[in-house]
Amino acid sequence: MRRGALLFTGVALVSLGVSLRSQPPSPSARRERGAQPPQSPRAIAPSDFTGYWVSVVTEDWRWRMVTPAKGDYDSVPLNPAGRREADTWDPQRDEAAGEACRAYAAPAIMRVPGRIHVTWENDAALRIDAEAGTQTRVFRFGAPPDRGAPAPTWQGESIASWELSGRGGGMFGGRPPRPSGALKVVTTRIRPGYLRKNGVPFSASAVLTEYFNVLGPEDNGDVWLVVTTIVQDPQYLATRFFTSTHFKKLPDGSSWHPTACRAS
Amino acid sequence: MARTPVGMWAALAGALTIPLSPSFSADQDRAPAAGQASPSLVEYDDGVQKSTPNGVDFTGEWAPRFHEDEPERVPGPELGDYLGIPINDAARMRAETWEASIQTLPEWQCRPHSADYIWRGPSPLRIWKDVDPVSRQVVAWHAEWLRSVDRSIYMDGRPHPSPNAPHTWAGFSTGTWDGDVLTIKTTHLKEGYVRRNGLPRSDRATLTEHWMLHGDVLTVAAITTDPVYLTEPFIRTTDYELDPHQWVPPYPCQVVEEVDRKPGIVPHSLPGASDATSEFAARCGLPVAATRGGAETMYPDFRDKIGFITSKCIAAQR
Repeated sequence: MRRGALLFTGVALVSLGVSLRSQPPSPSARRERGAQPPQSPRAIAPSDFTGYWVSVVTEDWRWRMVTPAKGDYDSVPLNPAGRREADTWDPQRDEAAGEACRAYAAPAIMRVPGRIHVTWENDAALRIDAEAGTQTRVFRFGAPPDRGAPAPTWQGESIASWELSGRGGGMFGGRPPRPSGALKVVTTRIRPGYLRKNGVPFSASAVLTEYFNVLGPEDNGDVWLVVTTIVQDPQYLATRFFTSTHFKKLPDGSSWHPTACRAS
Repeated sequence: MARTPVGMWAALAGALTIPLSPSFSADQDRAPAAGQASPSLVEYDDGVQKSTPNGVDFTGEWAPRFHEDEPERVPGPELGDYLGIPINDAARMRAETWEASIQTLPEWQCRPHSADYIWRGPSPLRIWKDVDPVSRQVVAWHAEWLRSVDRSIYMDGRPHPSPNAPHTWAGFSTGTWDGDVLTIKTTHLKEGYVRRNGLPRSDRATLTEHWMLHGDVLTVAAITTDPVYLTEPFIRTTDYELDPHQWVPPYPCQVVEEVDRKPGIVPHSLPGASDATSEFAARCGLPVAATRGGAETMYPDFRDKIGFITSKCIAAQR
């Protein structure tokens, strides 16, 4: 019994030493080392989002590869006001009014079949060019620039951040937060448009939240970009509207050919 | 005898001397230098623990969101709709000889959806985990839907069984972390379907999944590779929303005699006798070349071939 108790105490003390060695450094020790300058969002990117990607349309084919019929708003959680608005769709009217890009705005553009090109515009801004409608999105990390109240645009104002893994803390330190792989983008100030080409509407109140993940390479070498899209619109949607869209990485931009917006 | 505070700390520290798998596996990878003893299994290496990916917790009740392909996923797909699926001619022939009434056969009535299809099915999802009581590591995840078997995803590094091992609806799944994404490899699937209108998936198929958690949203990318019926990997991405009030109801499926037919009769169409794809094409105003599916139909450039079309399809409105 006594021998067992001694063994337990010895192991416990060794373990306590291990535990103390792993304590985070004191504030004074951190000051002595000097504060590290913050790294740019580009420098700490957890995945390589850049390159050419092509959408692979294995879902919602009837609503994406062709123009859906007027009144076909299946799968979209429209409220009565949204349905009434969708039933007024008139592509000729949109074309004549210079509104042919209504189905190419931020809440819809990732669902429009085509290639996208992702680049870093600078160390704190990721840019997506889309073939469809020749649209450009810019995701800026950090606080939005103070530009007053600019007019809404098709692609709106997008604020980006890296999703973090862990929050740290706890009795034994825990894991410090770090980018976990996903890019989160919140977009507002979007010009009213369509979630689908047949006039399924979103309003100026819409808020778009997106998560971008790079997956792979798979066993055959494929690399995927998956975008989870959540649209909130108190004017036209009864609930949050969820879609997820997948793109396959291309070796280069040799097949890139931007096209103009079409209202129908 | 009352313990002193020091004694309590020692006891707490002692409790941390259990063998934890991150330390163990990492030490296994590092061969001891000549003259050094093998690392102790009772040392808790906090640095290894902090650097070992342990992912996120997917535990919970997940409600499916049918904001994509709702007509296909809930009421069911139309016959002859193979749009955007990279099938080959063999799959097309199987599908064209398929009759929906096959599901009235006793052998089919309680058949669960397979691991690759179930994400796209119409039911709620429950995810839970097995935790090793000693190491406190997650050693397995489980996923269960209304009409499925309990699906285990092993996280303990065990190998997949022999190719000759039995195939099941859930298959055999192992998982690894890539940051916060759980990547799952599944083999040993029984023959199933990629769409509930007869498009087959063979028992030689394999499945790769990536589970992604974003706040209260679960997105799963499921990639099926099938050397028998697919010409390219078939990817679908599906979303679920956390719903703590949800529960997965029981599914006590009971086989009954649904149709009075002679024993041995299997509902089917003979090859060439079905015109489902052309009927579906006509109803929706789509080219038959599109409704017959194939890898070409899932890429944007296919629109250059069919031109700008406005569909005539309107599903039942709700």
